[in-house]
This record gives sequence, structure tokens and C-alpha cells, in this order.
Amino acid sequence: MTTTVSARTPAGAAARRVLHFTISRGPLVVFAVLLIYLSLESEFFLEWRNIKSILRQSAPDAILASGLAVVVMAGGDDVVVGGIDISIPAAATLGVGLIADQLVGNTPLLWAYLLGAVAIFGVGAANAFLVVYVKLTPLLATLATLVASVGLYRWAIDNRRITVLGNGFVNEVRDGDFLGIPIPALIMLGTLVVVGGIAHRTRFGIRMQAVGGNRSAAEIAGLRPGRYLAASFILASFCGAVASIVLISRGSGLSPGIEERLLVDMVLATFVGAAFSPRRVVTVPGAVAGAILVKALGNGFQLIQVDLFKIGMIKGVLILVVVASSALVGKLRQ
Amino acid sequence: MTNTADTKANALSMHNISKAFPGVQALDSASLAVAPQEIHGLVGENGAGKSTIIKVLAGIYQADRGSVWVDGAPLDQITPETVHERGVRFIHQELSLVPHFSVAESVFMAQEKRGMLGLDTRKMRRLSEAFLAETLGAEIDGRTLIRDLTVAQRKLVQIARALIDGQARLVVFDEPTAVLGATDINTLFGNIRRLRDTGISIVYVSHYLSEITEICDRVTVFRNGEDVGTIDLGGATAPPGPAPSDTDSAWSAANGAPRQGEIIKLMVGREITDMYPDRKPEAGETVLEVSGLSDGSRFSDVNFSVRTGEILGLTGIIGSGREALVDTIYGIRRTRRGSLTIDGAPVKLRSPAQAVRSGLVLVPRDRRNDGLVLDMSVGDNVNMATLDKVSSKLGWLMRAQARRQSDEFAEQLDVRPRRSATIVRFLSGGNQQKVVLARWLATESKVFVLDQPTTGVDVGARSEIYALIAQLATGGAGVIVSSNDLTEILGICDRVLVMVRGRIVAERPTSGLALDELVALTTSSAAATADQGAAIYGPEHRGGLEVGA
Repeated sequence: MTTTVSARTPAGAAARRVLHFTISRGPLVVFAVLLIYLSLESEFFLEWRNIKSILRQSAPDAILASGLAVVVMAGGDDVVVGGIDISIPAAATLGVGLIADQLVGNTPLLWAYLLGAVAIFGVGAANAFLVVYVKLTPLLATLATLVASVGLYRWAIDNRRITVLGNGFVNEVRDGDFLGIPIPALIMLGTLVVVGGIAHRTRFGIRMQAVGGNRSAAEIAGLRPGRYLAASFILASFCGAVASIVLISRGSGLSPGIEERLLVDMVLATFVGAAFSPRRVVTVPGAVAGAILVKALGNGFQLIQVDLFKIGMIKGVLILVVVASSALVGKLRQ
Repeated sequence: MTNTADTKANALSMHNISKAFPGVQALDSASLAVAPQEIHGLVGENGAGKSTIIKVLAGIYQADRGSVWVDGAPLDQITPETVHERGVRFIHQELSLVPHFSVAESVFMAQEKRGMLGLDTRKMRRLSEAFLAETLGAEIDGRTLIRDLTVAQRKLVQIARALIDGQARLVVFDEPTAVLGATDINTLFGNIRRLRDTGISIVYVSHYLSEITEICDRVTVFRNGEDVGTIDLGGATAPPGPAPSDTDSAWSAANGAPRQGEIIKLMVGREITDMYPDRKPEAGETVLEVSGLSDGSRFSDVNFSVRTGEILGLTGIIGSGREALVDTIYGIRRTRRGSLTIDGAPVKLRSPAQAVRSGLVLVPRDRRNDGLVLDMSVGDNVNMATLDKVSSKLGWLMRAQARRQSDEFAEQLDVRPRRSATIVRFLSGGNQQKVVLARWLATESKVFVLDQPTTGVDVGARSEIYALIAQLATGGAGVIVSSNDLTEILGICDRVLVMVRGRIVAERPTSGLALDELVALTTSSAAATADQGAAIYGPEHRGGLEVGA
């Protein structure tokens, strides 16, 4: 509490402002320094060809993170009792498994993707039911559906790799460009416009944010929090369904286990993204930017040939920096 | 009480409203009538039914009987929606706002303006800024975030949200000043008067009688779920002519005092019973000295001392900082400034553990959550603070000795049933409280702080608890009883400290102190106000004023 005492003098107040700035912008500063370092170390890093590949790689993470951002906005940013949905990547993977399985079995494209989407929305509906009606905490509810989704797809596809070959649509989404921009990046942009638009530019969205920001206030204002919570899980599964389209193309089918890395990157991107928003809260554009940034760093470290395991370690430290900074900002504000 | 002609003419008529909760008749044929364009006060002790009747009006509770008329027309169905449609608005005590929302977003929360593409943010910003400036006299940028506003500005945003649609006919202010400082209160009063002058009727709920007499045209007093009288405060209305200014406060305060006496008489209306022990206080050495204590938000500059053999009362209504003070003395909350001396030795309390080691113990107000481990036995709960006395040097618990110790204290305090294996959850409130007391008796502490010692304790067990408190003092301990039950304070304590808005405003010996005098002290709205910014998003548990058992 020594800082608060010194805040009474002008110099102390200035020091406090600097401290506040450093802590709240800390993660961004760290990221900026890393990016500059990487672009100096590797000339290829900022070439359009590499940027295209970063965008292509970050699309699934960004789409999943948009979904998580919506759930966090509607449920509040307390990871334990607020909004969190850790099942989105697992649900998307379940969808990928089903689609891949159907495509290999020569089911028409549309039916295969529809089946995948139905499964993913099913997981979202289960989350909404468990959280809103059974009143489980989101962390527990989505942990349960995560485990169930993983079990389900591993059982359904016999825990083997499914390779989808020679499918025109799948290949186009993987390799295609439109106006020079990779198709996955366009899908990512589309998700940003649709989901971000709903969350930030509509009446529904701002009410959902009100529910997440102060649930009792929203209730007193005449809103029904349950509806918005439920809707946030459904929106998240929409993101999961979109992500499954990109994922099946990127992997040319399904490799079991991809949901684990996706989960880490989704959570990291969403909360890193909060540092981008002017109000320092989780937003959809922030989550997308966070996903691209995290991917850019991973890509850069690979370019300068940092050990793959070390990259994992660096990611862990970055998560700590981001989470610690938001905790400290909250503390300073009091 | 009211006839049909009045009902037709009134802005609000609530007739013979009854509402029962399991075991409590919260409202018993209570009525409330508000004339058009008047500021109508609503006062009463905690449990008198004023918040229940407000919640009935808001459609949160369904009344068992009675009818509600707004603007001369009956409300058949009372739901939050129908009430809102009729132009009834509520300014709740808590600032129900989202910290990271902008002013414009907050004002239009749940009533957003839509444009061609989604929300019309520019229109909402323009309208909210104009409304704040023109109606409430405040220049606030609509883009500012709520968390960057002062408490008073947030209150204005809350008011703007209730009034922005221009449909408001009747506005209910529930304890609006609980978080405000003196100048902000004057600004708020100016705004409330201005609203009345535009034709809106106002219901003003408050514990502060000085505010009631200053701002209200009439006041209705509630007691035990009934309306016991409506007093015309005509003298307190603003004089005709130019708009009332802040200097009116002194004028009406001077006029208010005799009025407050009338209100208090209606509020109290009963005698003190003789459930309190006879005692001859013999105060000895000073055992606890508190000087210049501030926590930086809820209270400041608190000075007092307790002597051995003395029972000191501490009281104050909601927002007075009483609970925060108790928590701070015990080391639960951080001290910002000031010092504590126990038995002549200065101590710095950063945790309850340190307080206990220094000989200061607390019987907490929330007994079931903070005082006991409900699913452990009486014996384990009693021995909890003194396990080292009944353990070997290596920490091995000596069960026979432990049992002997807990039995000894349970017997001394007459805990029933007398089985140390009984699970505490199944004891009555009074016996649970005795278990907490027994634990601290075993520590042989010097200062006992009892917070709301008889909440949830039935009348029979109360006198036993009072006898035990007296016994503690006779045994040479210094005792502090913190309570919002004023009869209890007068009955058991030797001296009382009254807190208002974070400061101790009065210190009186209780012998010869009349109940209505004490009520007047606790309900005076003193100018001194601590910066209560921290109270906004997580208001402390608010206990109200309570007179009598």
C-alpha cells in the first residue's frame, strides 16, 4: 500500500500514472518489442508471402477466439464464475471428424458440413442448458462437454487419422486466394464482421455486454440474463462451426488431438486481445487481433529457428504476462 | 384511510397492501398515498416494511392483498413492465451500472436507439449529453466510461437512465444519498426539486431524517408493516420565487428539528423491555485505544478507547462505516492511517490471526458463515482457537484434554444440548452464538468485539447472551458491542459511540439517554463524509436501523 500513500504528492501521482500505463499496456509493449526483434532478425518475416501464411494459420484460432470472446462478454470476465467456454475447440474438432468421415464416405458436401454443424450446435446448446437451467458454473459445464465431445469423436472415427483427398472445396479453402487474400483469412474476416457486428453494433450485443458487465444491473434494467447467456453459447458454437470448415481444409481431414493446441491458443488470443481494446476488456476484434499476433510470434520464432518446445515455453510466459497485468490493473483501479 | 376521490386525484395510491413471508407479516394493510407533484418521504426502521412496499410497487414482490392506483387508474397486474409503462421509475440504492460502459451506453441500457445499421451511437451520445446538461445540470461527455466518473456523476447517470424516455410520472429514490458527500447531496436535492417542478411526483426513501425534513413535502412513517402516520412538512417546501439554492439547507435544517421529533415518535412507539442484566459498571485501566483510524474509504479519523470491565456500544445506520470499522479493528480490512494500542502496547493488525494473538477477538455478525464451521462438532468449534493448549509438543491432539476443555466452557455458557459431539449446524441460533463465545472465552482474551451479537437469536436466548456479555466485562475484559439494535445498545452498554457517514459524531453514557435521542443521533445527516468511492460496485452488507427486539 506504499504506492497509495505516495499518490498524495504530485510526483507520486505521476509515478502512479506511469505505473498504471506500464502495467495496462505492458503486454502490448512486450509484443511490440518481440515483433520488432523478429522483423530485424528475419527479413522474410514481413514479406507478403509470410504475412499471407500467418493469416492462413491464424484463421481457426481467430474464429474460435471470437466465439470465446462473446461468451466472456456475456458471462463476465471472471474465468472461474464468469463466462468461459473451453469446449469450443473440442466441439469444432468433433464437427471436423464427422465431416471428414462423411466426405470419405462420399456423402454430398452440403450434407456432410450440415451434419458437422448440427453436432457443434448440439454442444453449444448443451452448454447453454447446463449453465442457464442447471446453473453449473461455465467452467465446469464446458469442461464436461469438452470431455464428452472428445470422447465422442474419438469413438466415432475410431481414433484414427482421416485424410480427405481430392475434394475440390476442401482444397480451395486450404490453398485458394481471392483478390490475393487467402480464403481462410476471408472467412476469418467474415466471422469478425458478423460476430463482432452482432456483439458490438446491435441492441442485442450491447445488452449482452450489460449482462456480462453487471448482471444485477442488467436484471434491474429489465433484461433477462439467462437469454443472453444462452445466446452467447450458441454464438460460440456458430464460431465453432465456421472454424470446422477451415480446420478440415487445413488438415486435409482430421488428426485426432488438434483440439488441445487450439484450446490454448484460443484462450491466449482472447485475453491477449483485451489489451488491444480501448476499454481493456475482451472484445471480438481484440480476440481476432490477439490470434493473429500470437500466430505471428510463433511464426517468427520458427523463422529464426527457435526450438519448438521453447516456443511453447515463451507462450506460457506471455499468458502469465497478460493475465498478471489485467489482475494488477484491476487492483490499481481500486 | 384514503377515499376514492383522493385515489383518483393522487399520483400514487397503494391501498391496504399485505404481504407475508414465511414466519413474517412484512406488510399488514399498509397504505401509501402520493399527491401529484409532491416529494413524499417514506421512513421506518429496518423491517418496518418500507422496502417491501417499494418492491411490491416495482412488481418484484406480488402482494397478498391490496390495490395499487397510478395517476387515478388501477393497476390490475403489477409486473416490472406494466409499472414501467405507467411511468413509474426507480432509482435504486446501488449504482447499478456497468463499469466499462460509456455514459451514453449506460443511459440507454435496455432502451437503445437503433439506426439504419444496428445502434445509433451518435444519437444516444447526443441525447444523453443534452439530457444530463439540461435536466440535471451536469456537463459530462457521453463517451466517458462509468469507472472514470465520480460517485455523484454516476448517480446522475442512473437518474438520467430512469428519465431519458420522457415518460416518467413518478420516481422512487431509494436511499439516494447513501454513497454521496454533502455538496453532492445538495446538488441532488436541487435536481429532485427541479423534477417535481416539471410535474413529476417523487417518493423519497431514506434513513436520514434531516434529509426527509429538508426535501420532502410530506412523509409517511412505517412501523411493523403498517403505515402509522403521515406528517405534513409544509414548512420544508421551497419558498416561492427563485429556484431553491444550496443556502436553503441551513434554513430548513433549523425548521426540521421539531419535525424530526414527531417522526421519531411515530417510528419508535414502544418501550424498552427488561431483558437486560443489572450491572454496576466498574471501569478500570484502558485496554484498547484507537486513535486517528482511517481505512481510506468507509470511515476516517476514528478515536475511542475501551477500559477493562466496560461495555462500549457502537452503532450507526447503513453506510455509517460501522461494519467496516469493526472489520478493520480485527485486521480483516486494511488500515490506511491511525493506530491501535492493546494493553498499552501498540499493535499493527494485518490479519485476524494477529488480532487474536494480541488478545483481541471478534464474534462476527454473520455467525453461520464467519463464526462457525457448521459441519464440525461443538467441541471442535470451541477448541478451534486454543488447539495448542490441548495438543502435545509435537502437535498430537490430546483428545481427552480437548474434550475436557470444550465441556468446561460449554457448561459454563450452558450450551444445549450438552454433548460436545453434536454438530453445530443443528443447534439453535442462540446456542450457536454461545459456541462462538465459548471459543473466545477459552483464549482468555482482553478485548471482545461482538458484532450484532443477537441477530437471529430468539428472545429467550437473548437475555442469556446479554448476561454472558455482562459476565465478560465483570471478568475484567473490555467489551465492544456493535449493533444496529438501539434498544440493545441502551440496555447492555455503559457508553455508546454513534457513527454517521464514516465518522464518530457522538459519544454518550447510556444511563439517562433516551431512545428517541439516540435515534436522532444516528439519523442526523452530518456534513462529514468519507470518500466512499470504494462502496460502489460492492456495497458492504447493509444493515439498517432497528429499534427494539
